[in-house]
Amino acid sequence: MKSISHKKVFLLLLIATNIFYSCKKDPPVTTIKAPTPYNFVIPKGFPTNVNIPANNPLTVEGVKLGHYLYYDDRLSGRADEGKGLSCSSCHKQINSFENGTGKGIGVMGIETDNVMLPHINLAWNPGTFAWNGGASSIEEDIYGAITLQSEFASTWEKVVAALSAVPEYPAMFEAAFGTKVISKELIAKAIGQFVRSMVSSDSKLDKVLRGEYNFTNSERNGMVLFTTESGADCFHCHGQPSNPLMTTNLFYNNAKDSSFNGIGDRYSVTGNHNDIGAYKAPTLRNVELTGPYMHDGRFKTLDEVINFYSEGLVYSEYAHPLMHKVRPPYGHGAALNPQQKADLKAFLLCLTDTSYIHNPNYAKIHL
Amino acid sequence: MQKFIFKSIAMKKLFFTLILAATYLSLTFVSCKKTVVNNDPTTGKLQINFQNYVDGSPAIFDTMIYINAAGNHYLVSDVQYFISDVTLYKHGGNSTMIKGWVDYHYIDSQIPSSLVWNVYDDINIGDYDSLAFHFGISSDKNITGMFVNFPEKDMSWPDVIGGGYHYMKLNGKWLDVNNIKAGFGFHLGIGQNYDSLGNVILPFIDNSFRVSLPSSSFTISGGVTTNINIRMNFEKWFKEPNIYDLNYWGGGIMQNQGAQKVAAENGWNVFSFSK
Repeated sequence: MKSISHKKVFLLLLIATNIFYSCKKDPPVTTIKAPTPYNFVIPKGFPTNVNIPANNPLTVEGVKLGHYLYYDDRLSGRADEGKGLSCSSCHKQINSFENGTGKGIGVMGIETDNVMLPHINLAWNPGTFAWNGGASSIEEDIYGAITLQSEFASTWEKVVAALSAVPEYPAMFEAAFGTKVISKELIAKAIGQFVRSMVSSDSKLDKVLRGEYNFTNSERNGMVLFTTESGADCFHCHGQPSNPLMTTNLFYNNAKDSSFNGIGDRYSVTGNHNDIGAYKAPTLRNVELTGPYMHDGRFKTLDEVINFYSEGLVYSEYAHPLMHKVRPPYGHGAALNPQQKADLKAFLLCLTDTSYIHNPNYAKIHL
Repeated sequence: MQKFIFKSIAMKKLFFTLILAATYLSLTFVSCKKTVVNNDPTTGKLQINFQNYVDGSPAIFDTMIYINAAGNHYLVSDVQYFISDVTLYKHGGNSTMIKGWVDYHYIDSQIPSSLVWNVYDDINIGDYDSLAFHFGISSDKNITGMFVNFPEKDMSWPDVIGGGYHYMKLNGKWLDVNNIKAGFGFHLGIGQNYDSLGNVILPFIDNSFRVSLPSSSFTISGGVTTNINIRMNFEKWFKEPNIYDLNYWGGGIMQNQGAQKVAAENGWNVFSFSK
């Protein structure tokens, strides 16, 4: 009887404890809203394969954060030293997110090795960023840019500290990535998302493809020159209307020089003898806005570029086989007459997308 | 009470034993079914490997070590091409075309994965006398916009000269008469004729052609993947029945129907077969 009574007491205590704890209010659960998937629209005629990393899908919050970071000169981590720099310092919207002046100049006043490449339709880049394809992703490119003396000349510690001190950013990082803790990886991811969201698909050429515009005779003649081997033969490296990216994203020695120093070219990445003096064929979208031209900015105008391909090609054994119009003494280019040059230029101007350079979704923004 | 518990445990045991037995039997049934299929299959798989050869040996790219029938010293940098409408002929005349509309394969010397084609189709078992295919893409299928993604998209053949896609890009260099390493783009595709003013005379010309491989018999066995090799012998593009002289035809031939015709004629025996 005594033992039964102890059992009862024990049971009662157990029940009481249970009731006590069940009645105790649960601690508040912090729920972080998952970021909203970004609606990335593939324009008509564009490849359906896009290069968006699985570990960094586009989200509305991520793209928005990246947009702010892209324009924030505290990204150098040295704004307090009077050395602020942002992506947009060299990648200006008015120049199709290129700088429009030639090589970039970093916070230390040091020039970049090559001229800027425009930030445009990079969601379709297959993973060969920069003139030599040395960066496999936008994020990797950003990692390098922060510490390069010719660019941000900073350290990631400084950058993270500077951005963490901005009151709005922790909440924005939390919305985009679920954490208020700002890191190098998340900064790069956010900017990567924004840059991948930047799409140009409203040039005259796009309008022709959509049936909204008809080429003038000169523009049409220029397109024929652009897309024929007996003409200017631009299409093998820069695509054609059926490839509206206007680049193959491949690397070519385009017969600019007879000797090469191997600095910054494709050879410096692959070590392949055939890549000596080879650089990426950049997109010709908005080419009107992205001079000076070639990797080193040697040509100031489109006319100079056209003259080069018409009669200025330089023979070397490293010239790409597709540069078969350089074959001294027979020829040094496409040998275009003045009218053909004018027509070719007229077509190149059809690749200008003014809506891209005025798109408010990519415009200057700051906290 | 104890008796009841005993009964209950016994029933439980019986119940679980039955469940286990049922599961085992169903698994055995399913596996047996699969095994039966594997033991008596009516189809097998085909893997086609693409090889690049020069003068009987695997091609060494980017090295000026070859001499063609015209005496041109040359090198090959890279090659990209399509084959389509691959047809397998059985003894007695029955034939099977692989994959109908999407019967094409892109081969790129710079993309190793493209050199192996694991054919999706289940191929009926049996002895096959020969294999044939279309070099390039036949005109009814060779339509601009057919490929939306790279690398096939890079094979586009401009609309103004016929549209669709290159059948082949064979890029290289040769030592020309001035000892210059000149580039050539031996690019084959839809041809054009021009009038005296340089205007295209329609219609465009379908230069794609059928390749029937001699001595290409093979056997498809049930449940087994059969490997065969299709080899492109580069030197034969320049050899027979026409001797193709790079000094004569020059670096670019996309708008030279004479060169396209010669190349197409030579292409008939460029390929060979091995198991």
